[in-house]
Amino acid sequence: MPKPKVATDWLGDCAGCHMSLLDMDERILAVLSKVQLTSSPITDLKHPPPDGVEVGVLSGSINNTSNLAVARMMRKRCKCLVAMGDCAVMGGILSLRNAFDMKEALQRAYVDTPSTVDGFIPESDELAKPLRNRPVDQVVDVDVYLPGCPPSADAIFHALCELAEGRTPILEGETLKYD
Amino acid sequence: MSALCVTIDGKDITVESGATILEAARTAGIDIPTLCHHPALNDIGACRMCLVEIAGVPALQPACTYPVADGMVVQTESERSVQMRKFVLEMLFSERNHYCMFCEMSGDCELQAQAYRHGLAHWTYPTPNPRLPVDASRRFFLMDHNRCILCRRCIRACSDVVGNHTLGVMARGAHTMVTADMDQPFGDSTCVSCGTCLQVCPTGALVDRRSAYMGRHADVQTTESACAFCSVGCAITVVTRNGRPLRVEGGFDGPNAGVLCARGRFECLEGRERVAQPMVRRNGELTPATWDEATTRVADAFRAARPGAVHAWMTAVALTETMDAMADAFRNRLGAEVSLLSRPPEGPLPNGGALADIDAADRILVVGGDLRETHPVVAYRIQRAADHDAAITLVADGPSSFSAMAHEAFPMARLNDACKECQDAARPVIVYSADLPPEARQALSGLSTGARLIPLHSAANMPNALTLGLGGAAAWEECDLLYVLLQDGVLTEEQRERARSAAFVVLHAAYRGPDDDLASVLLPAPLWHERAGTFAAMDGRRAVVKPSTRRPESVWPEAAVFEGLAARV
Repeated sequence: MPKPKVATDWLGDCAGCHMSLLDMDERILAVLSKVQLTSSPITDLKHPPPDGVEVGVLSGSINNTSNLAVARMMRKRCKCLVAMGDCAVMGGILSLRNAFDMKEALQRAYVDTPSTVDGFIPESDELAKPLRNRPVDQVVDVDVYLPGCPPSADAIFHALCELAEGRTPILEGETLKYD
Repeated sequence: MSALCVTIDGKDITVESGATILEAARTAGIDIPTLCHHPALNDIGACRMCLVEIAGVPALQPACTYPVADGMVVQTESERSVQMRKFVLEMLFSERNHYCMFCEMSGDCELQAQAYRHGLAHWTYPTPNPRLPVDASRRFFLMDHNRCILCRRCIRACSDVVGNHTLGVMARGAHTMVTADMDQPFGDSTCVSCGTCLQVCPTGALVDRRSAYMGRHADVQTTESACAFCSVGCAITVVTRNGRPLRVEGGFDGPNAGVLCARGRFECLEGRERVAQPMVRRNGELTPATWDEATTRVADAFRAARPGAVHAWMTAVALTETMDAMADAFRNRLGAEVSLLSRPPEGPLPNGGALADIDAADRILVVGGDLRETHPVVAYRIQRAADHDAAITLVADGPSSFSAMAHEAFPMARLNDACKECQDAARPVIVYSADLPPEARQALSGLSTGARLIPLHSAANMPNALTLGLGGAAAWEECDLLYVLLQDGVLTEEQRERARSAAFVVLHAAYRGPDDDLASVLLPAPLWHERAGTFAAMDGRRAVVKPSTRRPESVWPEAAVFEGLAARV
């Protein structure tokens, strides 16, 4: 039987969850002996293959139109979708922005910050448009939740091994953390 | 009270009748999850976390308010209860902002702990995330309504423990909000900033400005001590991290039952510039000096001073060990006239009462002084007793911050009439200012044999100063040397004026302040959280003060300074 395929991608996040994934250290070899990693933001191939994967992993929140497209593509191309990290599970730190008007937030980020000189709010059809920040499950169905900011390497290792064996991972004890 | 037998999770437990299921379970080591329950507060069954299954009772019942009955059989972890608790938690998490990642309480939060215990990996229900206000109108702590779970612990602390009744709720259902008075900003309300609500809040809704984000419970150290700012002698826990004080918490097992005042909890940690090392006056300016240089100057001044023209003033807040060492060194070896910065009472002080007696009192006579200002924790205790139908009689001249809650008020001239009112009381308590004239105190002690009397001293360790026979500052003809042990305090205008007539002034103080310009030599004293010793509290207790942070090497213990001086002179 071929090894189950796994693809990961990131949305609006700080890359910390993927750092935590790398933090598995040599256990990555053990994971790769059980699954085939087709693509991820930190490998050469970035997008899940069109013929699909068994497990898709998304970190980060839905924060703009690009995140929305990436999430929808992953959902379409995977059988089981894992929301990895607090941003994907609950919306995370970017939800703080929801308390402000979008114009106000952009003005603050691109113009008013003390370190910015001659700032302007970028506008181009090629750029993604910001959206009200949401967790992944408010846009596409999520099968497995992996909270944590970031989830520990132990939690990610446990989850990937369980999924590779065809089981639904359950986080408890030290692996279940919200911060 | 009769004993009842109940079965909880298969264990047979015998408890007194009147106990709740929660109390019975805890005596047997069975841990029923709770959120709105707090051991110091009355239970109201608000949060529904402690729902348990009782055989023969169709609906699940809250363990914290349900009294046990003989033969009752209870399941605390039945599938139905656990499912219901998870549902309650999911609802709580969906209501407001409970993102742990940027919350001050994360790691110490009771809501978070329950979510971990019940394995909540995500939020089942959508989070509408209403944008609620953050009330930062109070100086020491703020209220973030977005983190509030409406458990009403703060409200119960305010009303049941402090008797202040500032907090309450308004509106209904999902729109319910904790409010102060008639929806005032907290800072403009009748809140006294005692901080009891802050201490009992289970989530990050009430946030201490000073210690927020400074360390979780696992990162900090705690020291059990006593507050020595007034003669009540409240039990405190000083929370420190890496030798820096973060906050002060009230000891629920202490005589103060967890309550502190704004001074003991917050103001004592406000940033004042400390006297970090000895300073001497050169060319009219106070400049840093070594201990050797400073003590040499002081010793020279002692030697040069004429006999009878050497005076020492001591704060009556000083701990017993410091007081004894100073009295001994200055009286017996340095030949100084030692007196107190606050005027000690003359004559006997009838006593014998304690704070706990106030709880059981049916009539409380408050005589003289303004306790809400001088001894707030006693005032809160009396407020609380008034809620339990104790009659309050106030005897005072002029307006008092206590007059609004007194059932009867008399001027001081009619003290005897006020005493007559108390004659029939079954458990009278008399709280009086120790500064009353001796004849007034005489009248009080003759009142009734059953009365509990609590004298309120103007300074924390006044009882010890009295045993040393120290008096108020005596008049002097001429003063060649004045040594002032000031510690945290400041001189009164009158004292400052007198100190100016001294030829040489040594100021021994913890903080820089308005009196520095008097000093020929300024010596550093340890800060309150660096001191070790004891003091005599108002009820005769020997309160133990333990240091919670380390004294810097440039600051010597006061007793060592006195000893060094005496040895040199």
